Amino acid sequence: MSDAAVAQSRSPGSLWPKWRWLSSEHPLPWLLPASALMIIFGIYPLLYALWLSLHKRNPVTRANVFDPDYNWMKAFGDQRVWDAIATTFLYTGIALVIQLVLGLLIALLLDSDRKGYGVLRALMTLPLVVPPAVTGMMFLLMLDGSFGVLSRSLYAVGLLSPQYPILANSSTALAGVLLADIWQWTPFMVLIMLAGLRSLPKEPFEAAAIDGATAVQAFFKLTLPMMSKVIAIAVLIRGIDLFRVFDYVKVMTDSGPGTATETLTSYSGRIYFNGDFPYASTLSLITLILVIIASSLFMKIFRVKL
Amino acid sequence: MSFKDHDKKTFIIDTARDFAARRISKRDFLRKTGMAGIGFSAFATGLLGSTRPFRGNLGGNAAYAQTPEEMTKWLKDVGGKFKGTKVRYTSEATPPTVVLNQIKGEFTEATGIEVEIEIVPLEQVLAKATQDVQGQLGTYDVYYLDQSWVATFAQDTVDPTQYYKDKPDLAMPGFDFDDFSKPLVEGLALYDGKWAGIPFDIPIFITMYRKDILEKHGIKPPTNFDEFTAGVKAITEAEKANGIFGTGLQAKSGHYSLECDWTAAVWGHGGSIFGKDKKFAGNDEQGVKGLQWYQEMLKNAPPQSTASTWDGQFQMMHAGQVALVNSWDEFFPGLDADDSKVKGLWEPLHPISSMTGVRAVADAGFGEIPNVGHQGGSILGLSKYSKNLDAAWIFMQWACSKEIMTRCTLLGGFAPMRLSSFEDPRVKAKAVVGPGTTRHLEVVKWTIDNVMASEPDMPLWAGFSNNEIPVELGKLLTNQDYGGDAKKCMDNVASLINKAVEDAGLL
Repeated sequence: MSDAAVAQSRSPGSLWPKWRWLSSEHPLPWLLPASALMIIFGIYPLLYALWLSLHKRNPVTRANVFDPDYNWMKAFGDQRVWDAIATTFLYTGIALVIQLVLGLLIALLLDSDRKGYGVLRALMTLPLVVPPAVTGMMFLLMLDGSFGVLSRSLYAVGLLSPQYPILANSSTALAGVLLADIWQWTPFMVLIMLAGLRSLPKEPFEAAAIDGATAVQAFFKLTLPMMSKVIAIAVLIRGIDLFRVFDYVKVMTDSGPGTATETLTSYSGRIYFNGDFPYASTLSLITLILVIIASSLFMKIFRVKL
Repeated sequence: MSFKDHDKKTFIIDTARDFAARRISKRDFLRKTGMAGIGFSAFATGLLGSTRPFRGNLGGNAAYAQTPEEMTKWLKDVGGKFKGTKVRYTSEATPPTVVLNQIKGEFTEATGIEVEIEIVPLEQVLAKATQDVQGQLGTYDVYYLDQSWVATFAQDTVDPTQYYKDKPDLAMPGFDFDDFSKPLVEGLALYDGKWAGIPFDIPIFITMYRKDILEKHGIKPPTNFDEFTAGVKAITEAEKANGIFGTGLQAKSGHYSLECDWTAAVWGHGGSIFGKDKKFAGNDEQGVKGLQWYQEMLKNAPPQSTASTWDGQFQMMHAGQVALVNSWDEFFPGLDADDSKVKGLWEPLHPISSMTGVRAVADAGFGEIPNVGHQGGSILGLSKYSKNLDAAWIFMQWACSKEIMTRCTLLGGFAPMRLSSFEDPRVKAKAVVGPGTTRHLEVVKWTIDNVMASEPDMPLWAGFSNNEIPVELGKLLTNQDYGGDAKKCMDNVASLINKAVEDAGLL
């Protein structure tokens, strides 16, 4: 554009003034797009879910009638909700502990600059790129009582009876689902721990070595305390994600057998698929409330600042 | 999880199931999974599947693929006016839907009307239809309605017989509503005196047995529940060491398939789901006996029965793991398929009869018809919210016409809706051992005409049959709860269902 054209475009009455906000220092134009997205995709669905939860659905007429406490009272009196909450906490707790311990141990093993370790670290990301629904189906296959490789291996070493259906037995189904989750998400913990380990300063470890500290002492006295913030963040992120588990349960057991693997999200999913949208919304809101309470408590106790 | 994530995940699952059921090629499977961002790692998952088994010969036969000239002319003349419109239809992978999906190009070629068939698992069909009618969106022009949902959706569909009269310019010549089997019309399509749709699919319970195994042990083909039970126990005892069980079940906890098995057991022992007082009757003496019998059968079935739906049950039969089964007739063509280990070894029988007689219709509630031939049929419903109602109506008439329905049977071997299809010489000629056989259809027709049973017609039934009943049954059968006490389980189901029925004002 020539100088004359530029001057023309900036002259009074041209289009240019309309775009002056692009150089504005006022926060409003910069906040608007993000706020709009937040309102459309965050606030509105939340308010809609809340509005739905205050209505009772008539399954015959399909009308949603305002009855503010119906779904909430129903949820508190619904034994399946309490069982689902217990299963959700159990699932989250077990998965979190195993993934954290395994993740830290594997990270310690991989925390080396020796040749080939870079490739090993890169390989750790592979399970993370498989969609959870596919992981669920893979494990469904491997745990099949008739031909599953894991079931047959456990049978071969005498731990299972022939054709034992791990996922169809109420005492082993949850363990089967957890196996898939742990396989897929332990690498996530490994990567976070590795990032933490590799950012630790070397000096304290060198000083400890000069003072004659053993590797175990260095781990408990130096590594773990210095990694505490990283561990807390990893637990928080993973814990929130685990609390919302849906894919593995849906694909592998569909909440069964009975309700042995029914979590809050899978229960609300079942209610949703059966068309009772207000009650499903109420259960989703209960999940949200529990996640907020649990993560706030965790952040308070472990003094996590985001 | 976002809706986008959910869609992606269900797309992946459906693709894997399609491949497992050989509905799509390996190339298509890899292409689709690639689109979903999975790649080759997903390949193994394609070996899985839990949709309805279909082992027809979709390769097609030129002799069957000739649309009659007069129909082509009608499609061009009448359907051509709607060229460029798109008709959307969502369905479970029922055999006729799978066939329709393969041959829909013929319809599009003649009319210019695009047809999009979304094939998804049963519970997703229900969720999609529910959302559509709730918002009166008209996203789908044609609904696949399982028999257990007809009462729920009858108010959302156009009566096809009335529309046929009201729109003579769109009426297919010789469509002939009287050609549909009368029991199917009454048991499936009619609700409150109105046709909610056109009968489209009729899987029905018959008895099937392995003649080689029964002969080996000197067991006569069973005619009633006692003989069936004795045969099952004897075979399990004699053959368990060889990996063969007396029977196989579709007892997956929380799944509709378990509800179907349970219902058949209750009806076969003289019980019903609802009493004439419209209260749950599964906890009365006959209902509890039916469930106890089912628990006994489970002891004589492969352990994976509690993880199996109809697909798993078919696999047990197909792999030669079981010898006596009381279940869906549509398994039969697949048992005679070339890849079957038991080709020609299974025989169809009339459904085993009740020892006590079945409960009278007048003593059951909500239009329930207790009997031994449990039907799991479906109808095609024309959505009254459709934005392309006339184009959808033309498609429905084509899909349910004499010629297309007969071709669906010829390509898949499953039971037809129309009397003329049963009598078609091409269908009779296929009553020999081989893929897509029709040699079971005589038994099927007898069952439809004489002992067909139907689940209750009530708006809450879709929920009860997919949630409360199979979930509580699952707890009992997998020992999660009730300590094996059938009565205790049924009493709990009764309290859940009676409360919901009362809340809905249906008592």
